Amino acid sequence: MTGEATYTTQDPPTAASDPVAPRSDRDKILRIESVCKTFFTTRRTVHALDRVSLDVHRGEFISLVGVSGCGKTTLLRILDGLDTADSGTISLDGVKLDGVSHDMSYVFQDINLLPWRNVLDNVALGLEVRGVGKAERRARAMEVLELVGLASVAKVPPYTLSGGMQQRVGVARALAVRPKVLLMDEPFGQLDNFTREALQVEIANLWEKLGTTIVFVTHDVDEAIFLSDRIGLFQPGPGRLTEILDVDLPRPRTDYDVRAHPRAIELRAYITEHLRGGKEAAR
Amino acid sequence: MTQRQRTPTGTGSGPGAAATAIGAPLPGDGQEHLDEPMFDLVGAQGLLTGTTQGNGALGWVRQHQTAIAGVLAIAVGLGIWQATSLVMNPIFISTPSLVAPALWHLLVDGPLPADFLRSLLEMIGGVLLATIVGVGIGLLMGRVRILERALEPLVAFGNATPSIALLPVMEVWFGFGETARVAFIMTIAVWPLIVNTHAGVRAVRGRLADVGTTFGMSHWQQIRYVYLPGTLPYIFVGARISLAVGAVGMILGGQEIGGTGLGGLVTVLGARSETAPLVAAILTTTALALFLFWALRQLQARAFPWIAATSAGRRE
Repeated sequence: MTGEATYTTQDPPTAASDPVAPRSDRDKILRIESVCKTFFTTRRTVHALDRVSLDVHRGEFISLVGVSGCGKTTLLRILDGLDTADSGTISLDGVKLDGVSHDMSYVFQDINLLPWRNVLDNVALGLEVRGVGKAERRARAMEVLELVGLASVAKVPPYTLSGGMQQRVGVARALAVRPKVLLMDEPFGQLDNFTREALQVEIANLWEKLGTTIVFVTHDVDEAIFLSDRIGLFQPGPGRLTEILDVDLPRPRTDYDVRAHPRAIELRAYITEHLRGGKEAAR
Repeated sequence: MTQRQRTPTGTGSGPGAAATAIGAPLPGDGQEHLDEPMFDLVGAQGLLTGTTQGNGALGWVRQHQTAIAGVLAIAVGLGIWQATSLVMNPIFISTPSLVAPALWHLLVDGPLPADFLRSLLEMIGGVLLATIVGVGIGLLMGRVRILERALEPLVAFGNATPSIALLPVMEVWFGFGETARVAFIMTIAVWPLIVNTHAGVRAVRGRLADVGTTFGMSHWQQIRYVYLPGTLPYIFVGARISLAVGAVGMILGGQEIGGTGLGGLVTVLGARSETAPLVAAILTTTALALFLFWALRQLQARAFPWIAATSAGRRE
């Protein structure tokens, strides 16, 4: 018991001496400063977020990883304006945000497609709300559907699609409004393993192609390593962002087996250890 | 509990045998299994004739088992009803052979068509008003926190009040004409719509509402794009209950306010102890209610097929 786990504390992989072209020297698109959030229920008080600060760089893929209830989803919801912070500020491109931003869109864990609209009209929803004309919004929605390979089911009701296809529609709906930042809340959490892996590759390709900044919440460590430039580690009780790791693995990562890469193995061991420690602390 | 052998499907093959094993009603189970055969008549037949492969007439019978069972049940019921005249004075529940001509007379040279139409229109008017008012109040309660707090006890109070007690109030407010009857049907039918619409908005609030928020919808856009359609499955459930209680209001209103429509007809015939036309009039009332239920189901299936196809509407 005493012998193990020492390497993780002595050799934090954050201090990578020779990072592989980090995107961290790009400018900051999103600044999160000292965000706090407490939920009051009749039974107890939950400190969901305690002074969380984070800079997100333009064009990067950053994942927030932690055990359930560590506040990572709460932070994402606050970024999108679905929840409000008790204190702290969020600014996008230097402008302080108040409420919902039109420059960010959200991909939900439970997908949340509107069953009374067909796939195309679901994807066009954000544009319709913004007053884009029917012909133009349909054309733009169709473009995004082609991007995710779902043009053939544009006229179909969403509930006839498989879970994986539904979530691709969910991604298309979020992308259709051309957001500067895409917020993804455990988007593949409800899918089976094979579908999840296929969608991970797809989202990696989409990100390479579009260059959209992505903030991605997950508790799947391998998923985070495969997709991310950086990984923010959350600890629960109260929810804190305790560490940010650079994922200095070469891209494109679809070209090799990331899970077998020695650096990935090292990162996974470190993150797992970190999360386990947090879980124990929460008890 | 020991498994009881309920069917003589000794051959143990064919879809009938499987359906019997799987279709055994579960304890506490509602309507779902009623359309599956309790007794596999054709399977038994197969045992008797030594064949399980339905060919010709037997195959046809096997295919239409459920429909045949329904028709048989009605025929047997009518037969028993007719047979009661052997031991009972027909003044109590009459007989099919007396009711059929009575219905014909009421239809051809009696007041039935006019009364039917009057009741139908009052019913549609009352339930439509209840839908507009009920959905409106339900949506407002779901969307405006202060109204929710304020109206919740009032709705509970109104919902608990036996609506028949309000009948004299309607007479005082609206007199003894159709306005009072429509108002009475509306007063009875509005509560299930308020309660269900409110419950629907609360269900939407938990999930789909986030979609409206993330796209920056205004208050009205949220109602139009998310809340109203998202609440529809619940509104239809409410409307179905409203039709059922509204039908009671329709008959009661006709009986008590002005003595017209199907309610008035039933009262008059009952007072004269004319049982055969009375039963005919009652069956017409049932037919009217069934027709309205059917129309509502058709509306839902044609205009909103997604309700039945998604989980929110799976309570069907």
